[in-house]
Amino acid sequence: MSVEIWQITLFSLSVALASTLLILPLGILLSWLLARREWRFKTIVETIVMLPLVMPPVATGLILLKIFGRRSPIGGWLYDRGVEILFNWKGVLAAMAVMSFPLFVRSARSAFADVNPRLEQIAATLGASGAKIFFAVTLPLAWRGVVAGSLLAFGRGLGEFGATIMVAGNIPGRTQTLSLAIFSFVQLGKDAEAFGLLLVTVLLAFAAVAASEWLVRSKAKSRG
Amino acid sequence: MLLRCCVPLASFDLAIDVSLESQVTAIFGPSGAGKTSLLEAVAGLRHTSAGEIEIGGRLLFSSSQKINLPPRERAIGYVPQETLLFPHLSVRKNILFGSRRTTNRDGAIDVRMDHVVSLLDIGHLLDRSVGQISGGESQRVALARALLSRPQLLLLDEPLASLDIGLKERILPYLRRVRSEFGVPMIYVTHDPVEVLSLADWVLMLRQGRLVAQGVPQAILTSSSILSQLEQDRLENVFDAILLASDIDAGRSRVRLESGQEIYVPYTPGPAQRSLQIGVRGDDILVATREPEGISAGNILRGTVRNVETGAGQSILRVEAGAPFYVRLTPPAVARLGLRNGSDVFLIIKTRSFLVL
Repeated sequence: MSVEIWQITLFSLSVALASTLLILPLGILLSWLLARREWRFKTIVETIVMLPLVMPPVATGLILLKIFGRRSPIGGWLYDRGVEILFNWKGVLAAMAVMSFPLFVRSARSAFADVNPRLEQIAATLGASGAKIFFAVTLPLAWRGVVAGSLLAFGRGLGEFGATIMVAGNIPGRTQTLSLAIFSFVQLGKDAEAFGLLLVTVLLAFAAVAASEWLVRSKAKSRG
Repeated sequence: MLLRCCVPLASFDLAIDVSLESQVTAIFGPSGAGKTSLLEAVAGLRHTSAGEIEIGGRLLFSSSQKINLPPRERAIGYVPQETLLFPHLSVRKNILFGSRRTTNRDGAIDVRMDHVVSLLDIGHLLDRSVGQISGGESQRVALARALLSRPQLLLLDEPLASLDIGLKERILPYLRRVRSEFGVPMIYVTHDPVEVLSLADWVLMLRQGRLVAQGVPQAILTSSSILSQLEQDRLENVFDAILLASDIDAGRSRVRLESGQEIYVPYTPGPAQRSLQIGVRGDDILVATREPEGISAGNILRGTVRNVETGAGQSILRVEAGAPFYVRLTPPAVARLGLRNGSDVFLIIKTRSFLVL
C-alpha cells in the first residue's frame, strides 16, 4: 500500500479513537442516568441524543456547521479563544463524536439497566457511598456493554461521511478520512487506491463488530 | 428496638407497631403477608410513609422528626433470600466489601474476619468465585459479608428457604453459632416452624400486613388457632440436647435432653457431649394409656397430659415427659382414650421420626 493510504488510515484511526475516548465520560454518565434515574426532560434529552441515528448525517452536519460557525454564540466564543473547529481535524472529531454518541449510549444504557439493582441496594446496606457503588458494583458488571458500545462508536466514527464532509470538508492531508478518500478516489477514477482503502475499512469494521458481538455473547453465556 | 411504621404496598398497607427486647425475632406468616417488605423498610430500601424505627437507641426513621437515614448509614446487615453475592468478585472480596465501614458507633459488634470465616467454615472458599460455590455456601458467605460490615441489627430473609432439607440440617447450626458468638440482634423471616423453634426467642405473626399474634415460639407455634392459618400446617417440637453416644452400625445415637430424659435419634456423627438440637413432628407421636409391649419404636416416654386444646378439627396435647412434647391428635382419639389434664400417658416415638438439626 502507498504512503498516502497509510496516512489516511492512520489519521482516521487516530481521530476515531480520540472521538471514542471523548464521548466515554459523558456517555457513561448519561447512559447511567437514563438507565437508573428518573428526571425532568429525560425523554427530551434521550430523543435529542438519538436524533443523529435517524437524521440524514448531512443534516446533522449542517446543524454542527451552524453551531460551530464564527457567527454562532458557541463558535464565536471558541474563535475568540483561538479555537477553530471547522475545516480541520477538530471538525472531523466533532462530527465523529456526535454521530457515534447515540450508538454508544444505546449499548451502555442497556448494560447498566441489566445490572440487578438489588446488588446496588445490598452494597448500600454494606455502607458503600453512591460513588463506591458505581465504581465497585455497577460499572464492573456493565463493562462488557460499555466496551461493546465503545467498539460500535469507534466503528461508526471510522465510517462517518455525511456530517464530516459538511463540517470539515474533504481536504487531502488535513481532513480526509477513509470514507472521504474512497469517495474522492472513485470520482477521480483511481480504482486501485479506492479498493485498497475499501479493504482496510472492511477489515476494521469487521474487527470492531466481531469484537462487540463476542463481548455481548460472552456476557449472555456467563449468566448461564 | 421499636418498629412502628406504615409501609405502602401494592395491594395493602403494612402497619406494624411493636417494641422488641428479644435477641432473635422470627417473622412468621403466609407468603404475601408483607414479611420481606418489613425487612426492606427497616433496611431503608423501601419507602416508609409514617412512623418510627429505632434500633439500639438510634433513630433510623421518624416521620414526626423528619429523620430518614439512607441505607448506608443505618448499620443494618441484610441477607436477602437470593443472597445477592457480587458476581464479579471473589468470595474474599465479597465478604470484605462492607468491612471498611468507617463509623464505629457505640454498640457496634466487634467482628474480625478470621473469626467469622472460621465460625461459618468458609475458609476454603475465600479464593473461589461466587459462581463456584453451592447454595448453602452462598448463604454462609452472604451472612459473613453482612456480619463483617459490623451491623447493629441483622436482617435474614428466609435464609434456608431455597435449600433442600439435607443442606438445611447443616446450615442451622451456623446460624445458632452466630446468635451465640456475636450477640447481634436478628430479625429473621421464615415459613418454617422448626427454624423458629430452633433459633428465635420471639415470634411476630403477620397476615395481610397486620400483626395478628406475637409471643414466645412455643406458645405461638403450638396454638391450633394459629396453626390452622398457616400454609405449612406443621406442629413441631424442637429440643436442645447433648450427644451421649453414637453407633453407626445400629444407625442411631443416644442424646440427653436438658431435663435428663434420654432419647434415641438417627445416627449423627460427632464427639460425645456435643450440643445439638433435635426435632420431631407433633403428628409423628403416638399416645398410649398403657405401656406398650412388642413394639418396634425406640422411644417410649412416660408422661402426664398438662393441657388439651381442641378446635379447628384437631386436638393439641401438651404432655410433660421430661420435656414438654406437643402432640396433635384427632378429637375422636382424645375422646376414645379419655385424655384430659392430668392423664398419665406413654409417648411412642420411632427413632427415625426424630430429626437432628
